[in-house]
Amino acid sequence: MSRFFKGIFTLRRGAWEMLASILIALGVFLMMQPFWLLAYTWSFLVTLVGTVMFIIVSHFPE
Amino acid sequence: MAENAMDRIARATPPGVARKIRGLSDRAIAWIFVGPSIFLLLAINIFPLIWTIRLSFTNFRVNRINAPVKWIGLRNYERILTDPDIWQTMQATAHFLFWTIFFQVLIGFTLAWLINKKFRGNDLWTTLIVLPMMLSPAVVGNFWTFLYQPQIGLFNYVVAFFTGADPSSFSMIGSIDLAPWAIVIVDTWMWTPFVMLICLAGLRSIPDSIYEAAEIDRASKWRQFWTITIPLVLPFLMMAVLFRGIENFKMFDLVVQLTGGGPGSVTTLTSIDLKREAFEKWRTGYASAYAVILFVTIFGLASIYVKALNKVKER
Amino acid sequence: MSGFSVNEPSRRMKWFAGILVVFYALVTLMPLLWIIATGFKSPADSIAYPPKVIFRPTLEGYVNLFTTQTRITPDMEEGLEPPKNWVEQIVRDKGMVIAGPSRYVQRFMNSVIIGFGSTFLSVFLGTLAAYAFSRFRVPIKDDLLFFILSTRMMPPIAVAIPIFLMFRQLGLSDTHMGMILLYTAVNLSLSVWLLKGFIDEIPLEYEEAALIDGYTRFQAFYKVVLPQAMTGIASTAIFCLIFAWNEYAFAVLLTSGEAQTAPPFIPTIIGVGGQDWPAVAAGASIFLLPVMVITILLRKHLLRGITFGAVRK
Repeated sequence: MSRFFKGIFTLRRGAWEMLASILIALGVFLMMQPFWLLAYTWSFLVTLVGTVMFIIVSHFPE
Repeated sequence: MAENAMDRIARATPPGVARKIRGLSDRAIAWIFVGPSIFLLLAINIFPLIWTIRLSFTNFRVNRINAPVKWIGLRNYERILTDPDIWQTMQATAHFLFWTIFFQVLIGFTLAWLINKKFRGNDLWTTLIVLPMMLSPAVVGNFWTFLYQPQIGLFNYVVAFFTGADPSSFSMIGSIDLAPWAIVIVDTWMWTPFVMLICLAGLRSIPDSIYEAAEIDRASKWRQFWTITIPLVLPFLMMAVLFRGIENFKMFDLVVQLTGGGPGSVTTLTSIDLKREAFEKWRTGYASAYAVILFVTIFGLASIYVKALNKVKER
Repeated sequence: MSGFSVNEPSRRMKWFAGILVVFYALVTLMPLLWIIATGFKSPADSIAYPPKVIFRPTLEGYVNLFTTQTRITPDMEEGLEPPKNWVEQIVRDKGMVIAGPSRYVQRFMNSVIIGFGSTFLSVFLGTLAAYAFSRFRVPIKDDLLFFILSTRMMPPIAVAIPIFLMFRQLGLSDTHMGMILLYTAVNLSLSVWLLKGFIDEIPLEYEEAALIDGYTRFQAFYKVVLPQAMTGIASTAIFCLIFAWNEYAFAVLLTSGEAQTAPPFIPTIIGVGGQDWPAVAAGASIFLLPVMVITILLRKHLLRGITFGAVRK
């Protein structure tokens, strides 16, 4: 876990990719959950942020 | 290894004659070779994609070519993302996604584990099990509607035979309760072999020596299964699940042939809904925004998938 | 793999596993066997209750698949010559005459033309690109490879909207050429990724030797690398062919008559009075059997194909 935060602060690819993946997964979950319409409304933004982030951070050094 | 390929060849080439025998520079050859593919993909994938994004901000309709096209900003996105009907469609997709992946992983992994017991003839049976996955989903899906017929259908007959129910008392694709399961069953039938094959590759990639070491440590078979087998197969399983997830998120052919999205809208998955908006109601701008939402989601999932793919490749 | 291994499953375990797997295989093959069997049933047998496992095989389904027919009245029949061959006999027995050939053959040929055309193009372009990706330092290589793969992940319906507009502008809608180009683009990702894997596996020494012998890069590519990559190219081609063969979404949206392939056509086969299941099954059998045979022949490369070359064995 501490390695993850260290990676975030030192802009390492692995940690940031993990973060972006979590955002994408969260976005997909919010999009499909049956409980809360408002969450569905904003899910796309979460996915979009995650996806764009993934593209950017995959160019960070290992 | 590919990285130093050029260097190694360059070293192997005597420097004096290098230029003469190569003719074109490596860089030129590389571009000549990659160029046509990139060009085709730009023309048939990227250009349309940019066009879709542009259209998604307008109220363009293909069937009204002469109507003025208005720039309406984010209105399309707003309408899609607040529409309870489309949210419903997402949930139908979620139901389909969740249960197909659940059953495919469960059955697929079990089969792979059994096949890995290396009984005689396992190759032959593996090949036979794989057959459904290679076939045309539309053609097979269409035939499944025949198997699902009440009374005369083979599926209903077999279910009735084992449960004692009347084979004409239920209709898999005609009833609101059963239709979502009808598509899950066919997709599971078709794609379980996919998960099975990948799990099998994962199981076979585990070296015997790890189990032997565990045996020396007197770890029970049960413990070996949870501490060795599962963690080492997991990257493979992840890859299979992500791929099936992406494929089923955009599922169209099989389900459209099976149920056409009905009854009502209980099996209207996102792709089917999108097809109606784009090619039946001809609301092109609106459908483009819908398409962009699906694009971005799949692009995100695909990034994770490629990450998983590379992880498996390193093994 | 010789000698005693702690992981060698017991005899009893093997039997247990074998029986379960064989049972699963038989259950999973039932629908396929049913398709083939239904193709040889008479319409009455095909909708019999309980479903008939043993029946008198007939070619009626196949005759219905390949012909269109018209009903004739008994007194009209008297004026006709007796049936010339068994095909006409089958039709006449139902009180019909053959009016002409059906469109199945034409649709099937469309599938063949579009399938082989796009396969050839995508393997040709894919081989070149894969060689470059494997052997040269291409700028932004990883991004290009990801971009190429991601094009395959895109939902066909979403891509079809602009393609539909584009094809209409260019006059490519419902043409073989349009479908070939489209399928080539979709298959390129698969062929590049798969072939890159195959070419990566060819030892560099062969090319080095060829270059020292005075070959140009180009000659080294087609005289040394290509023959070595032949197995890979062949299996890649088969995967592309199967995709193009099975594709439905683009075909149903972008073709209507002229270039329509078999998958959108087969479900629309309708007989006199309700769907003619034996004819549908006959059409499906002819369409699916080649793929089944190829799958069995291809089993060694199957895993590689479905994972874009990530899993080698």
